[in-house]
Amino acid sequence: MEQILANGLYLGAQYALVALGLTLIFSLMNVLNFAHGQMYVFGGFVTYTVVGQFGLPFVVGLLASAVVLALMGAAIEKFLFRPVIRRSKREESTMLLAAGIAFFLDAVILLLFGEKQRGVPKIVNGVFNWDMRVIMPYDRILIGVLAIAMIAGFILFMQYSRAGRAMRALAQDRVAAQLMGVDVDRYSMIGFALGAMLAGLVGGLLVTITGINLGMGGPTSIKAFLMIMIGGAGVISGAIAGGFILGMMESVGLTALAAYGDITYLVIFATLMVFLAIRPQGLMGKPWG
Amino acid sequence: MTAPILQIRGITKRYGGLTANSDISFDVAPREILSVIGPNGAGKSTLFKQIAGFVPPTGGEVLFKGSRISGLPPHRVARLGVVRTFQETTIFRSMTVRENVIVAHHLRSKASLLGFVLGSAQARADEADFARSADDIIDFLGLQPIRGEMASNLPQGHLRALGMAIGLATQPEVILLDEPFAGMNHDETMRMVGLVRRLRDERGLTVLLVEHDMPAVMKISDRIVCINFGQKIAEGTPAEIQADPRVIEAYLGSEDAAIGV
Amino acid sequence: MTLSKLAGAAAFLIGVFVLVPVFIALTGRWDFYYTLTSVALLSVAAAGVWLTFYIGRINIGQGAYALTGGYVSAILVTGQGLSFWATLPLAGIFCALVSVVIGLPILRLRGVYFAMVTLVLTEVARLSALALPITNGAKGITSIPLPGELSLFGLTLIPDFATLQNPKLAFYIMAVALMVLTYVVLWRIVHSRLGHLCRSLQQNEELSASIGVNTAMLRVLAYAISSFFGGLAGAIFVAISQSIYPSSFVVTDSVNFMLYCFLGGLGYVFGPMLGTLLLYFGWDLLSVAKEYQLLIYSGAMIALMLILPNGVLSLFDRKEGGK
Repeated sequence: MEQILANGLYLGAQYALVALGLTLIFSLMNVLNFAHGQMYVFGGFVTYTVVGQFGLPFVVGLLASAVVLALMGAAIEKFLFRPVIRRSKREESTMLLAAGIAFFLDAVILLLFGEKQRGVPKIVNGVFNWDMRVIMPYDRILIGVLAIAMIAGFILFMQYSRAGRAMRALAQDRVAAQLMGVDVDRYSMIGFALGAMLAGLVGGLLVTITGINLGMGGPTSIKAFLMIMIGGAGVISGAIAGGFILGMMESVGLTALAAYGDITYLVIFATLMVFLAIRPQGLMGKPWG
Repeated sequence: MTAPILQIRGITKRYGGLTANSDISFDVAPREILSVIGPNGAGKSTLFKQIAGFVPPTGGEVLFKGSRISGLPPHRVARLGVVRTFQETTIFRSMTVRENVIVAHHLRSKASLLGFVLGSAQARADEADFARSADDIIDFLGLQPIRGEMASNLPQGHLRALGMAIGLATQPEVILLDEPFAGMNHDETMRMVGLVRRLRDERGLTVLLVEHDMPAVMKISDRIVCINFGQKIAEGTPAEIQADPRVIEAYLGSEDAAIGV
Repeated sequence: MTLSKLAGAAAFLIGVFVLVPVFIALTGRWDFYYTLTSVALLSVAAAGVWLTFYIGRINIGQGAYALTGGYVSAILVTGQGLSFWATLPLAGIFCALVSVVIGLPILRLRGVYFAMVTLVLTEVARLSALALPITNGAKGITSIPLPGELSLFGLTLIPDFATLQNPKLAFYIMAVALMVLTYVVLWRIVHSRLGHLCRSLQQNEELSASIGVNTAMLRVLAYAISSFFGGLAGAIFVAISQSIYPSSFVVTDSVNFMLYCFLGGLGYVFGPMLGTLLLYFGWDLLSVAKEYQLLIYSGAMIALMLILPNGVLSLFDRKEGGK
């Protein structure tokens, strides 16, 4: 029982970080970042390259991932999304652009990093063993704690920093924010960069535990969508809730339903569809329509 | 005293903590022209939406010819004979005025959708009927000159007339007009007044309208209901309303202060 | 139908049914048959996605119906010994029925919310195929026989594919014929009252409701037709590849269908056909670039989105002045 909880918390923290990035981008630009999973993978590979290939410390690897992804996010927003949003008649265009970018990133990852699964050696050895009731390797605990710290940091940033407040104003009401003098373009770019950075950071964190490979992009994106569907899109608390709920459901499912085969996700999906039929805006989403 | 065609009974609408309409009741007699007035934000359009079925009331009911229509979806309410017109948009921007009116007859179509796809005999008969009815409506509203115009090219005034034509195509018994006089100059207003009267006189419709243009309202209405802060504050003939102190007070301080004709 | 449109249609038909086979026979590029057959069946699925766009919804779940339709056909042919031709409409109808059940709750969602749910659908289909006993799990269903003979009153309309010298040509003709049929139906729907009402949903739902359109039901109807096409595509796929696996249609395929529609132009009935041709054929032609294939492909797609945000067919907009 406690093991399931511990696993759930650990997974949930990682997922929540991913969901936060996605929901931030969505709340700012009403864009579903299809490429989010690919950004996660990219981050993992950058950390791998810095740590595994250049032999630099893990923290440097994480930092590198953060910087690279932030720059990538900013560039994508400025040079791709902004012109398309301006020029297109339909709201679907941004979604399709995001899909195109996802494919493009997959291609870039293939060329830059190859198709092999890569990993990074454990950063901390040993296993925490509480009376055989909770067994968790120390490195997982460390990564879990780091993830929670980042979530806390993100929340504080959004709440108290000038950029954070500007972005929240933008997310709530674009026109009002403009009237108040918020530079819409600049903060959209910062927001996208921040969202991408979060995805990249999780990739960097997890490369030490589960490794990283090219194929993880798509499924990660889908999981991220699931999370914000559960928790409610565009709301920070929703992303965190969604992340932890999915983490918990996976943990429970993998343990409890293991006997029945691969149906954990099938159950999760089916439940989600029913849940969405009753409450389409997710747990904490804003009612709309 | 004939039975009322529309009965608004205790209509209340709450959105969370906000009460948009509170216990509004009044009757509408058949072939009457009744205007609903009130300052901005008084709750007039919320009332209209509940009558036409776009919003379900939190409390109270709307009866049409004795049967409850509140809570029914808008297409059902339209089928029963109560139709709301839209003044600023139209459905088919890339079709002509005439085509718009023809398609709006959809409600009274006897052929099924499949019949339309396959081009059945009933569908073709319907199309012929609709075309005739559309021409009739276009003549009635004086829209012949623009019948071939693309709906997207129409100026405000004509778009509004088209909205009315589309409403008429559903062959309603009660028609709800949303600010039909807005933004019109004196001549246009007079023409619209005449048109609304003819809706009742020549087509036998009962007309309910929401409006801010006081002179027009006073000229055209048989009776007036005044709403403020979501509640009905007065009901009566134009003369009674003009003299009612509560109505005058409601409008004091708003741009509509001059309610004399 | 104007004369020029009829002439265009005739030219198109002659092109696909006569010129292409002749061209292939002369140049010996038999692999084109496979590519073009795929284009044809994928454009059937894309047509369905296009119709959902027409009622104002973003459908990224067509892969689920293609997979479902494929499995229905495969199971009926191998398990019940039904003729492939009988399974074609059955696959479509089954998918349409399933889509009604799914559509009723989810069609009220709009924009990205609806899109996200449909994205999940494709995965659900794949996982169901893995988990259910009837679909044979990860092993899939293989060794599906070629389509049999189709005869009416003793007259052989379509010969047994196993007896043909050149099954590739037969598959091509079949897929293209079904594609043409699909688009004729689509065109007819769009230009009929049904199509007008669907368009009214896009422009103003409230006004649409006030002229008596049951907007909820209309959406379900359009979605059902859309999923029918998806199922049809899946069945055709099974006939050609003679096997089906849970991963025969995945999320990427659903996303691709959407891209085909978009690139061709969402405002035009033949948009999805053109989009499928350009993107799929383009992808195939790019295989010479080996590891740079995806890079060039997605790069070109992004470029097209920047230059022609309303699709390729919007280039012809200025000439005709609207649809």
